[in-house]
Amino acid sequence: MNKKATIYTYSIIYTASEDFKDQTPYVIAIVEDKDSRVLSRIEGYEENKEIHIGMEVELFKTDESGNPIYKFIN
Amino acid sequence: MLRSVSVIGIGETRMGKLTSKSIRMLIKEAGNKAIEDAGIEKERIQALYMGNYNASYWSIQSHIGALASETLEIGHIPTIRTEGACATGSLAFRQGLNAIAAGIYDVVLIGGVEKMTHKPIETITTGLASAADFEYEVNLGSTFPSLFAMIANRYFYEYGDVRKEMAMAAVQNHDNALLNSNAQMHKKITIDQVFNGFPVAHPLTVYDCSLVTDGAAFVVLAATEVAEKIAKKRVVEVIGTGHAGDSLTLAGKKSITTLEATVKAANEAYKMAGITAKDIGFAEVHDCFTITQIINTEDLGFFEKGRGAKALAEGKTALDGQIPINTSGGLKAKGHPIGATGLSQINEVVTQIRGEAGARQIKNANIGLNHNLGGTAATCVVNVFKGR
Ligand SMILES: CC(C)(COP(=O)(O)OP(=O)(O)OC[C@H]1O[C@@H](n2cnc3c(N)ncnc32)[C@H](O)[C@@H]1OP(=O)(O)O)[C@@H](O)C(=O)NCCC(=O)NCCS
Repeated sequence: MNKKATIYTYSIIYTASEDFKDQTPYVIAIVEDKDSRVLSRIEGYEENKEIHIGMEVELFKTDESGNPIYKFIN
Repeated sequence: MLRSVSVIGIGETRMGKLTSKSIRMLIKEAGNKAIEDAGIEKERIQALYMGNYNASYWSIQSHIGALASETLEIGHIPTIRTEGACATGSLAFRQGLNAIAAGIYDVVLIGGVEKMTHKPIETITTGLASAADFEYEVNLGSTFPSLFAMIANRYFYEYGDVRKEMAMAAVQNHDNALLNSNAQMHKKITIDQVFNGFPVAHPLTVYDCSLVTDGAAFVVLAATEVAEKIAKKRVVEVIGTGHAGDSLTLAGKKSITTLEATVKAANEAYKMAGITAKDIGFAEVHDCFTITQIINTEDLGFFEKGRGAKALAEGKTALDGQIPINTSGGLKAKGHPIGATGLSQINEVVTQIRGEAGARQIKNANIGLNHNLGGTAATCVVNVFKGR
Protein backbone atom coordinates (compact mmCIF):
# COMPACT_ATOMS: atom_id res chain seq x y z
CA MET A 1 0.00 0.00 0.00
CA ASN A 2 1.10 3.54 -0.73
CA LYS A 3 2.06 5.53 2.28
CA LYS A 4 -0.29 8.35 1.30
CA ALA A 5 -4.02 8.35 0.62
CA THR A 6 -6.80 10.94 0.35
CA ILE A 7 -9.90 11.42 2.46
CA TYR A 8 -13.04 10.25 0.62
CA THR A 9 -15.26 11.20 3.56
CA TYR A 10 -14.87 11.63 7.32
CA SER A 11 -16.51 12.34 10.66
CA ILE A 12 -15.37 13.60 14.04
CA ILE A 13 -16.74 11.42 16.83
CA TYR A 14 -17.90 12.93 20.14
CA THR A 15 -20.18 10.15 21.46
CA ALA A 16 -18.26 6.87 21.34
CA SER A 17 -18.73 3.23 22.25
CA GLU A 18 -17.44 1.75 25.51
CA ASP A 19 -13.96 1.02 24.13
CA PHE A 20 -13.38 4.48 22.68
CA LYS A 21 -15.16 6.84 25.04
CA ASP A 22 -11.87 8.05 26.55
CA GLN A 23 -10.49 9.10 23.16
CA THR A 24 -13.12 11.61 21.99
CA PRO A 25 -13.04 13.67 19.91
CA TYR A 26 -11.35 11.58 17.25
CA VAL A 27 -11.60 11.27 13.48
CA ILE A 28 -12.57 8.34 11.33
CA ALA A 29 -12.52 8.47 7.57
CA ILE A 30 -12.84 6.43 4.44
CA VAL A 31 -9.54 6.90 2.65
CA GLU A 32 -9.02 6.39 -1.03
CA ASP A 33 -5.85 4.98 -2.47
CA LYS A 34 -6.07 4.69 -6.26
CA ASP A 35 -9.30 2.70 -6.72
CA SER A 36 -9.53 1.11 -3.30
CA ARG A 37 -11.40 2.57 -0.35
CA VAL A 38 -10.96 1.53 3.26
CA LEU A 39 -12.16 2.78 6.59
CA SER A 40 -9.47 4.18 8.81
CA ARG A 41 -8.95 6.21 11.95
CA ILE A 42 -6.90 9.36 11.44
CA GLU A 43 -4.62 10.12 14.34
CA GLY A 44 -3.52 13.58 15.38
CA TYR A 45 -6.82 15.45 15.46
CA GLU A 46 -7.00 18.58 17.56
CA GLU A 47 -10.19 20.58 18.16
CA ASN A 48 -10.95 23.01 15.29
CA LYS A 49 -8.44 21.46 12.89
CA GLU A 50 -9.64 21.95 9.33
CA ILE A 51 -10.45 18.68 7.55
CA HIS A 52 -11.76 18.32 4.01
CA ILE A 53 -12.54 15.67 1.44
CA GLY A 54 -9.58 15.19 -0.87
CA MET A 55 -7.08 16.00 1.87
CA GLU A 56 -3.91 13.86 1.96
CA VAL A 57 -3.16 11.70 4.97
CA GLU A 58 -0.25 9.40 5.68
CA LEU A 59 -0.17 5.76 6.76
CA PHE A 60 0.85 5.51 10.39
CA LYS A 61 0.34 1.85 11.42
CA THR A 62 -1.96 -1.15 11.19
CA ASP A 63 -4.15 -2.35 14.07
CA GLU A 64 -4.67 -5.97 15.25
CA SER A 65 -7.53 -6.54 12.76
CA GLY A 66 -5.29 -5.37 9.94
CA ASN A 67 -7.08 -2.03 9.70
CA PRO A 68 -4.91 0.85 8.52
CA ILE A 69 -4.51 3.82 10.85
CA TYR A 70 -3.54 7.04 9.10
CA LYS A 71 -2.36 10.35 10.50
CA PHE A 72 -2.71 13.96 9.48
CA ILE A 73 0.24 15.52 7.66
CA ASN A 74 1.23 18.72 9.39
CA MET B 1 -47.68 -12.39 -5.18
CA LEU B 2 -49.17 -15.86 -5.30
CA ARG B 3 -52.02 -14.81 -3.06
CA SER B 4 -53.13 -11.34 -1.97
CA VAL B 5 -52.42 -10.46 1.68
CA SER B 6 -53.90 -7.68 3.85
CA VAL B 7 -53.46 -6.04 7.22
CA ILE B 8 -56.49 -6.50 9.47
CA GLY B 9 -55.12 -5.43 12.84
CA ILE B 10 -52.56 -3.01 14.26
CA GLY B 11 -51.42 -2.11 17.75
CA GLU B 12 -48.47 -0.40 19.36
CA THR B 13 -47.32 0.94 22.71
CA ARG B 14 -46.49 4.53 23.35
CA MET B 15 -42.81 5.00 22.44
CA GLY B 16 -40.28 6.34 24.92
CA LYS B 17 -38.26 5.78 28.01
CA LEU B 18 -40.67 3.30 29.57
CA THR B 19 -38.77 2.54 32.74
CA SER B 20 -41.53 0.58 34.44
CA LYS B 21 -42.32 -1.67 31.46
CA SER B 22 -40.51 -4.95 30.81
CA ILE B 23 -40.13 -6.57 27.38
CA ARG B 24 -42.97 -8.90 28.34
CA MET B 25 -45.26 -6.02 29.26
CA LEU B 26 -44.52 -4.21 26.00
CA ILE B 27 -45.35 -7.36 24.03
CA LYS B 28 -48.54 -7.94 25.97
CA GLU B 29 -49.81 -4.41 25.49
CA ALA B 30 -49.09 -4.04 21.76
CA GLY B 31 -49.89 -7.66 20.84
CA ASN B 32 -53.27 -7.67 22.50
CA LYS B 33 -54.11 -4.28 21.00
CA ALA B 34 -53.46 -5.63 17.49
CA ILE B 35 -55.49 -8.79 18.08
CA GLU B 36 -58.39 -6.76 19.51
CA ASP B 37 -58.15 -4.30 16.63
CA ALA B 38 -58.49 -7.20 14.18
CA GLY B 39 -61.44 -8.45 16.23
CA ILE B 40 -60.39 -12.09 15.89
CA GLU B 41 -60.20 -14.98 18.32
CA LYS B 42 -56.63 -15.88 19.29
CA GLU B 43 -57.25 -19.42 17.98
CA ARG B 44 -57.23 -18.02 14.45
CA ILE B 45 -53.54 -17.08 14.65
CA GLN B 46 -51.48 -19.78 12.97
CA ALA B 47 -47.92 -18.45 13.39
CA LEU B 48 -46.02 -15.66 15.11
CA TYR B 49 -43.04 -13.77 13.67
CA MET B 50 -41.15 -11.62 16.17
CA GLY B 51 -38.62 -8.93 15.34
CA ASN B 52 -36.09 -8.18 18.04
CA TYR B 53 -32.68 -6.71 17.42
CA ASN B 54 -30.63 -7.04 20.55
CA ALA B 55 -32.34 -8.14 23.77
CA SER B 56 -29.66 -10.86 23.77
CA TYR B 57 -27.15 -8.14 24.63
CA TRP B 58 -29.15 -5.38 26.35
CA SER B 59 -31.35 -7.68 28.48
CA ILE B 60 -29.66 -11.12 28.17
CA GLN B 61 -32.92 -12.40 26.73
CA SER B 62 -33.04 -14.39 23.50
CA HIS B 63 -35.82 -16.63 22.16
CA ILE B 64 -38.29 -13.76 21.93
CA GLY B 65 -40.70 -15.78 19.76
CA ALA B 66 -41.49 -18.20 22.56
CA LEU B 67 -41.51 -15.40 25.13
CA ALA B 68 -44.12 -13.58 23.06
CA SER B 69 -46.38 -16.57 22.38
CA GLU B 70 -46.45 -17.44 26.09
CA THR B 71 -47.08 -13.81 27.06
CA LEU B 72 -49.91 -13.46 24.55
CA GLU B 73 -51.35 -16.89 25.38
CA ILE B 74 -51.50 -18.02 21.80
CA GLY B 75 -50.55 -21.60 22.39
CA HIS B 76 -48.39 -24.04 20.47
CA ILE B 77 -48.13 -22.18 17.18
CA PRO B 78 -44.73 -21.90 15.44
CA THR B 79 -42.69 -18.82 16.37
CA ILE B 80 -39.43 -17.38 15.11
CA ARG B 81 -37.34 -14.30 15.83
CA THR B 82 -35.83 -12.27 13.00
CA GLU B 83 -32.81 -9.97 13.17
CA GLY B 84 -31.59 -7.59 10.50
CA ALA B 85 -30.44 -4.54 12.46
CA CYS B 86 -32.89 -1.62 12.22
CA ALA B 87 -34.84 -3.46 9.47
CA THR B 88 -35.62 -6.30 11.89
CA GLY B 89 -39.34 -5.48 12.21
CA SER B 90 -39.95 -5.30 8.47
CA LEU B 91 -38.08 -8.57 7.99
CA ALA B 92 -40.48 -10.26 10.44
CA PHE B 93 -43.33 -8.70 8.46
CA ARG B 94 -41.96 -10.10 5.19
CA GLN B 95 -41.71 -13.62 6.63
CA GLY B 96 -45.36 -13.57 7.69
CA LEU B 97 -46.39 -12.03 4.39
CA ASN B 98 -44.51 -14.63 2.36
CA ALA B 99 -46.00 -17.51 4.34
CA ILE B 100 -49.56 -16.33 3.68
CA ALA B 101 -48.81 -15.53 0.05
CA ALA B 102 -47.42 -19.03 -0.38
CA GLY B 103 -50.63 -20.50 1.02
CA ILE B 104 -49.05 -21.96 4.17
CA TYR B 105 -51.21 -19.92 6.59
CA ASP B 106 -54.31 -17.71 6.41
CA VAL B 107 -53.79 -15.55 9.52
CA VAL B 108 -50.50 -14.67 11.26
CA LEU B 109 -49.36 -12.29 13.96
CA ILE B 110 -46.21 -10.21 13.53
CA GLY B 111 -44.56 -8.22 16.28
CA GLY B 112 -41.48 -6.23 17.09
CA VAL B 113 -40.09 -5.19 20.44
CA GLU B 114 -37.02 -3.43 21.81
CA LYS B 115 -36.01 -2.33 25.28
CA MET B 116 -33.00 0.02 25.25
CA THR B 117 -33.22 2.93 27.65
CA HIS B 118 -32.32 0.99 30.80
CA LYS B 119 -28.67 0.84 29.65
CA PRO B 120 -25.99 3.57 29.76
CA ILE B 121 -25.47 5.35 26.43
CA GLU B 122 -22.07 3.69 25.82
CA THR B 123 -23.65 0.24 26.11
CA ILE B 124 -26.48 1.29 23.81
CA THR B 125 -23.95 2.70 21.33
CA THR B 126 -21.91 -0.54 21.43
CA GLY B 127 -25.02 -2.68 20.96
CA LEU B 128 -26.11 -0.56 17.99
CA ALA B 129 -22.60 -0.58 16.53
CA SER B 130 -22.68 -4.39 16.34
CA ALA B 131 -24.99 -3.96 13.34
CA ALA B 132 -21.98 -2.55 11.48
CA ASP B 133 -18.89 -4.63 10.70
CA PHE B 134 -17.31 -5.31 14.07
CA GLU B 135 -13.86 -6.16 12.78
CA TYR B 136 -13.45 -3.52 10.10
CA GLU B 137 -15.61 -0.66 11.42
CA VAL B 138 -16.40 -0.87 15.13
CA ASN B 139 -12.86 -1.92 16.10
CA LEU B 140 -11.63 1.30 14.52
CA GLY B 141 -13.94 3.35 16.71
CA SER B 142 -16.83 4.05 14.35
CA THR B 143 -20.37 4.35 15.70
CA PHE B 144 -23.66 4.38 13.81
CA PRO B 145 -24.03 8.13 13.93
CA SER B 146 -20.47 8.46 12.55
CA LEU B 147 -21.15 6.14 9.62
CA PHE B 148 -24.13 8.26 8.58
CA ALA B 149 -22.16 11.42 9.34
CA MET B 150 -19.66 10.22 6.73
CA ILE B 151 -22.54 9.76 4.29
CA ALA B 152 -23.64 13.35 5.05
CA ASN B 153 -20.20 14.85 4.48
CA ARG B 154 -19.82 13.01 1.19
CA TYR B 155 -23.34 14.10 0.15
CA PHE B 156 -22.39 17.75 0.81
CA TYR B 157 -19.32 17.26 -1.37
CA GLU B 158 -21.23 15.68 -4.26
CA TYR B 159 -24.53 17.63 -4.18
CA GLY B 160 -23.94 20.71 -2.05
CA ASP B 161 -24.34 21.58 1.59
CA VAL B 162 -27.80 20.57 2.87
CA ARG B 163 -27.04 21.10 6.55
CA LYS B 164 -29.93 23.52 6.92
CA GLU B 165 -32.43 21.23 5.21
CA MET B 166 -31.30 18.39 7.47
CA ALA B 167 -32.21 20.57 10.43
CA MET B 168 -35.56 21.29 8.75
CA ALA B 169 -36.23 17.55 8.55
CA ALA B 170 -35.74 17.29 12.30
CA VAL B 171 -38.01 20.29 12.92
CA GLN B 172 -40.72 18.84 10.66
CA ASN B 173 -40.59 15.41 12.30
CA HIS B 174 -40.80 16.96 15.76
CA ASP B 175 -43.81 19.00 14.57
CA ASN B 176 -45.57 15.86 13.33
CA ALA B 177 -44.81 14.01 16.56
CA LEU B 178 -46.59 16.74 18.50
CA LEU B 179 -49.77 15.40 16.88
CA ASN B 180 -49.04 11.78 17.73
CA SER B 181 -49.87 10.64 21.25
CA ASN B 182 -47.68 7.53 20.82
CA ALA B 183 -44.58 9.60 20.02
CA GLN B 184 -41.63 9.80 22.37
CA MET B 185 -40.88 13.48 21.69
CA HIS B 186 -43.54 16.10 22.25
CA LYS B 187 -41.23 19.02 21.91
CA LYS B 188 -41.15 21.73 19.27
CA ILE B 189 -37.60 22.49 18.15
CA THR B 190 -36.00 25.14 15.94
CA ILE B 191 -33.34 25.05 13.24
CA ASP B 192 -30.96 26.90 15.58
CA GLN B 193 -31.46 24.30 18.28
CA VAL B 194 -30.49 21.57 15.83
CA PHE B 195 -27.32 23.46 14.83
CA ASN B 196 -26.40 24.08 18.44
CA GLY B 197 -27.27 20.68 19.87
CA PHE B 198 -24.36 18.77 21.34
CA PRO B 199 -22.22 17.21 18.61
CA VAL B 200 -22.51 13.41 18.33
CA ALA B 201 -20.54 12.80 15.14
CA HIS B 202 -19.74 15.83 13.03
CA PRO B 203 -21.78 17.18 11.22
CA LEU B 204 -24.58 15.49 13.17
CA THR B 205 -25.76 16.91 16.47
CA VAL B 206 -28.06 15.17 18.89
CA TYR B 207 -31.08 16.61 17.02
CA ASP B 208 -30.02 14.93 13.78
CA CYS B 209 -30.15 11.53 15.44
CA SER B 210 -33.06 9.18 15.91
CA LEU B 211 -34.02 8.38 19.46
CA VAL B 212 -33.18 5.61 21.85
CA THR B 213 -36.56 4.06 22.56
CA ASP B 214 -38.46 1.33 24.37
CA GLY B 215 -41.55 0.11 22.56
CA ALA B 216 -43.43 -2.61 20.73
CA ALA B 217 -45.62 -2.73 17.63
CA PHE B 218 -47.74 -5.52 16.15
CA VAL B 219 -49.68 -6.28 12.98
CA VAL B 220 -52.22 -8.99 12.14
CA LEU B 221 -52.01 -10.20 8.54
CA ALA B 222 -54.55 -12.32 6.71
CA ALA B 223 -55.07 -13.64 3.22
CA THR B 224 -57.22 -10.95 1.58
CA GLU B 225 -60.02 -13.43 0.79
CA VAL B 226 -60.16 -14.28 4.52
CA ALA B 227 -59.63 -10.66 5.59
CA GLU B 228 -62.70 -9.51 3.70
CA LYS B 229 -64.83 -11.94 5.68
CA ILE B 230 -63.44 -11.33 9.17
CA ALA B 231 -62.01 -7.80 9.32
CA LYS B 232 -63.78 -5.25 11.49
CA LYS B 233 -62.09 -2.24 9.91
CA ARG B 234 -61.06 -1.12 6.45
CA VAL B 235 -58.91 -3.84 4.91
CA VAL B 236 -55.47 -2.57 3.88
CA GLU B 237 -53.85 -4.67 1.19
CA VAL B 238 -50.11 -5.16 0.79
CA ILE B 239 -49.87 -4.54 -2.95
CA GLY B 240 -46.10 -4.68 -3.24
CA THR B 241 -43.05 -5.69 -1.26
CA GLY B 242 -39.31 -5.59 -1.88
CA HIS B 243 -36.22 -6.64 0.02
CA ALA B 244 -32.65 -5.97 -1.06
CA GLY B 245 -29.17 -5.89 0.37
CA ASP B 246 -25.80 -4.23 0.05
CA SER B 247 -22.33 -4.57 1.58
CA LEU B 248 -22.22 -4.58 5.37
CA THR B 249 -19.40 -2.05 5.35
CA LEU B 250 -19.78 1.55 4.28
CA ALA B 251 -16.42 1.52 2.47
CA GLY B 252 -17.56 -1.50 0.43
CA LYS B 253 -20.40 0.42 -1.25
CA LYS B 254 -20.03 1.72 -4.79
CA SER B 255 -21.82 4.92 -3.87
CA ILE B 256 -22.59 6.12 -0.37
CA THR B 257 -24.92 8.94 -1.42
CA THR B 258 -27.32 6.70 -3.36
CA LEU B 259 -28.29 3.76 -1.19
CA GLU B 260 -28.57 0.93 -3.70
CA ALA B 261 -30.52 -1.38 -1.35
CA THR B 262 -33.32 1.20 -1.22
CA VAL B 263 -33.38 1.64 -5.00
CA LYS B 264 -33.58 -2.12 -5.56
CA ALA B 265 -36.16 -2.87 -2.84
CA ALA B 266 -38.36 0.01 -4.02
CA ASN B 267 -38.19 -1.06 -7.66
CA GLU B 268 -39.15 -4.60 -6.71
CA ALA B 269 -42.10 -3.36 -4.63
CA TYR B 270 -43.31 -0.89 -7.28
CA LYS B 271 -43.09 -3.51 -10.01
CA MET B 272 -45.10 -6.02 -7.99
CA ALA B 273 -47.72 -3.35 -7.26
CA GLY B 274 -47.80 -2.29 -10.90
CA ILE B 275 -47.14 1.34 -9.97
CA THR B 276 -44.38 3.94 -10.07
CA ALA B 277 -43.08 6.26 -7.37
CA LYS B 278 -45.55 8.91 -8.60
CA ASP B 279 -48.47 6.83 -7.37
CA ILE B 280 -47.27 6.85 -3.76
CA GLY B 281 -49.33 9.32 -1.74
CA PHE B 282 -47.30 9.35 1.48
CA ALA B 283 -44.51 7.41 3.17
CA GLU B 284 -42.87 6.50 6.42
CA VAL B 285 -39.16 6.45 5.56
CA HIS B 286 -36.19 5.38 7.66
CA ASP B 287 -34.89 8.65 9.11
CA CYS B 288 -32.25 7.14 11.41
CA PHE B 289 -30.44 10.43 10.84
CA THR B 290 -31.69 13.59 9.14
CA ILE B 291 -29.44 13.12 6.10
CA THR B 292 -30.94 9.67 5.58
CA GLN B 293 -34.45 11.10 5.30
CA ILE B 294 -33.32 13.37 2.46
CA ILE B 295 -31.45 10.59 0.64
CA ASN B 296 -34.36 8.15 1.07
CA THR B 297 -36.85 10.48 -0.60
CA GLU B 298 -34.53 10.56 -3.61
CA ASP B 299 -33.73 6.85 -3.70
CA LEU B 300 -37.44 5.97 -3.42
CA GLY B 301 -37.99 8.03 -6.56
CA PHE B 302 -40.07 10.84 -5.01
CA PHE B 303 -37.53 13.49 -5.99
CA GLU B 304 -34.59 13.63 -8.38
CA LYS B 305 -31.13 12.84 -7.00
CA GLY B 306 -29.75 15.92 -5.29
CA ARG B 307 -33.19 17.56 -5.02
CA GLY B 308 -34.54 15.94 -1.85
CA ALA B 309 -33.37 18.76 0.41
CA LYS B 310 -34.90 21.45 -1.77
CA ALA B 311 -38.22 19.60 -1.89
CA LEU B 312 -38.24 19.37 1.87
CA ALA B 313 -37.47 23.08 2.25
CA GLU B 314 -40.34 23.86 -0.14
CA GLY B 315 -42.76 22.02 2.14
CA LYS B 316 -43.40 19.16 -0.29
CA THR B 317 -42.96 16.56 2.45
CA ALA B 318 -45.01 18.33 5.13
CA LEU B 319 -48.40 17.06 6.32
CA ASP B 320 -50.16 19.23 3.74
CA GLY B 321 -47.48 18.77 1.08
CA GLN B 322 -47.38 16.87 -2.18
CA ILE B 323 -46.04 13.71 -0.52
CA PRO B 324 -46.16 13.81 3.28
CA ILE B 325 -43.14 12.03 4.82
CA ASN B 326 -43.05 10.59 8.33
CA THR B 327 -46.46 11.83 9.43
CA SER B 328 -45.90 9.85 12.65
CA GLY B 329 -42.84 11.90 13.60
CA GLY B 330 -40.50 9.24 12.24
CA LEU B 331 -37.58 7.60 14.00
CA LYS B 332 -36.43 11.09 14.88
CA ALA B 333 -39.37 12.09 17.03
CA LYS B 334 -41.83 9.21 17.28
CA GLY B 335 -38.90 7.01 18.29
CA HIS B 336 -36.69 4.15 17.13
CA PRO B 337 -37.25 0.97 19.15
CA ILE B 338 -35.01 -0.94 16.71
CA GLY B 339 -36.83 -4.29 16.35
CA ALA B 340 -40.26 -2.64 16.46
CA THR B 341 -39.54 0.28 14.13
CA GLY B 342 -40.65 -1.27 10.83
CA LEU B 343 -43.91 -2.46 12.36
CA SER B 344 -44.50 0.90 13.96
CA GLN B 345 -44.08 2.48 10.51
CA ILE B 346 -46.68 0.03 9.19
CA ASN B 347 -49.00 0.96 12.08
CA GLU B 348 -48.81 4.57 10.89
CA VAL B 349 -49.39 3.78 7.21
CA VAL B 350 -52.45 1.67 8.05
CA THR B 351 -53.75 4.31 10.49
CA GLN B 352 -53.53 6.95 7.75
CA ILE B 353 -55.20 4.74 5.13
CA ARG B 354 -58.03 3.95 7.55
CA GLY B 355 -58.48 7.68 8.18
CA GLU B 356 -57.86 7.25 11.91
CA ALA B 357 -54.85 9.58 12.28
CA GLY B 358 -56.76 12.40 14.00
CA ALA B 359 -54.98 15.76 14.02
CA ARG B 360 -52.21 14.49 11.73
CA GLN B 361 -54.58 12.85 9.23
CA ILE B 362 -53.53 13.63 5.67
CA LYS B 363 -55.87 13.99 2.70
CA ASN B 364 -56.15 11.20 0.14
CA ALA B 365 -54.24 8.61 2.11
CA ASN B 366 -54.89 5.68 -0.17
CA ILE B 367 -51.50 4.35 -1.27
CA GLY B 368 -48.60 4.60 1.17
CA LEU B 369 -45.34 2.84 1.84
CA ASN B 370 -42.96 2.00 4.64
CA HIS B 371 -39.21 2.02 4.03
CA ASN B 372 -36.99 0.37 6.61
CA LEU B 373 -33.17 0.26 6.48
CA GLY B 374 -30.90 -2.06 8.42
CA GLY B 375 -27.35 -1.16 9.39
CA THR B 376 -25.49 1.17 7.08
CA ALA B 377 -28.14 0.53 4.41
CA ALA B 378 -26.98 -3.08 4.17
CA THR B 379 -30.57 -4.33 4.33
CA CYS B 380 -33.69 -2.63 3.03
CA VAL B 381 -37.36 -3.54 3.01
CA VAL B 382 -40.09 -1.55 1.25
CA ASN B 383 -43.80 -2.43 1.51
CA VAL B 384 -46.58 -0.70 -0.40
CA PHE B 385 -50.10 -0.56 1.08
CA LYS B 386 -53.47 0.31 -0.45
CA GLY B 387 -56.91 0.67 1.10
CA ARG B 388 -59.60 -1.64 -0.27
C1 LIG C 1 -27.74 11.04 20.23
C2 LIG C 1 -27.66 10.15 21.46
C3 LIG C 1 -26.24 9.62 21.61
C4 LIG C 1 -28.05 10.96 22.70
O1 LIG C 1 -28.11 10.12 23.82
P1 LIG C 1 -27.69 10.64 25.28
O2 LIG C 1 -26.39 11.35 25.17
O3 LIG C 1 -27.78 9.49 26.19
O4 LIG C 1 -28.82 11.68 25.61
P2 LIG C 1 -29.64 11.75 26.98
O5 LIG C 1 -30.52 10.56 27.06
O6 LIG C 1 -28.67 12.00 28.11
O7 LIG C 1 -30.54 13.01 26.75
C5 LIG C 1 -30.17 14.34 27.00
C6 LIG C 1 -31.27 15.24 26.49
O8 LIG C 1 -31.31 15.20 25.05
C7 LIG C 1 -32.56 14.70 24.60
N1 LIG C 1 -32.26 13.80 23.49
C8 LIG C 1 -31.55 12.65 23.55
N2 LIG C 1 -31.45 12.11 22.34
C9 LIG C 1 -32.11 12.94 21.50
C10 LIG C 1 -32.35 12.91 20.13
N3 LIG C 1 -31.88 11.91 19.37
N4 LIG C 1 -33.08 13.92 19.59
C11 LIG C 1 -33.56 14.92 20.34
N5 LIG C 1 -33.34 15.00 21.67
C12 LIG C 1 -32.63 14.02 22.23
C13 LIG C 1 -33.16 13.98 25.77
O9 LIG C 1 -34.57 13.98 25.71
C14 LIG C 1 -32.67 14.81 26.93
O10 LIG C 1 -33.45 15.98 27.03
P3 LIG C 1 -33.90 16.55 28.45
O11 LIG C 1 -32.61 16.95 29.12
O12 LIG C 1 -34.78 17.69 28.09
O13 LIG C 1 -34.59 15.42 29.12
C15 LIG C 1 -28.65 8.99 21.29
O14 LIG C 1 -29.95 9.52 21.15
C16 LIG C 1 -28.32 8.11 20.14
O15 LIG C 1 -27.39 7.30 20.18
N6 LIG C 1 -29.09 8.20 19.02
C17 LIG C 1 -28.83 7.44 17.85
C18 LIG C 1 -29.48 6.10 17.92
C19 LIG C 1 -29.00 5.22 16.80
O16 LIG C 1 -27.86 5.27 16.37
N7 LIG C 1 -29.87 4.35 16.31
C20 LIG C 1 -29.55 3.44 15.27
C21 LIG C 1 -29.64 4.15 13.98
S1 LIG C 1 -29.10 3.14 12.62
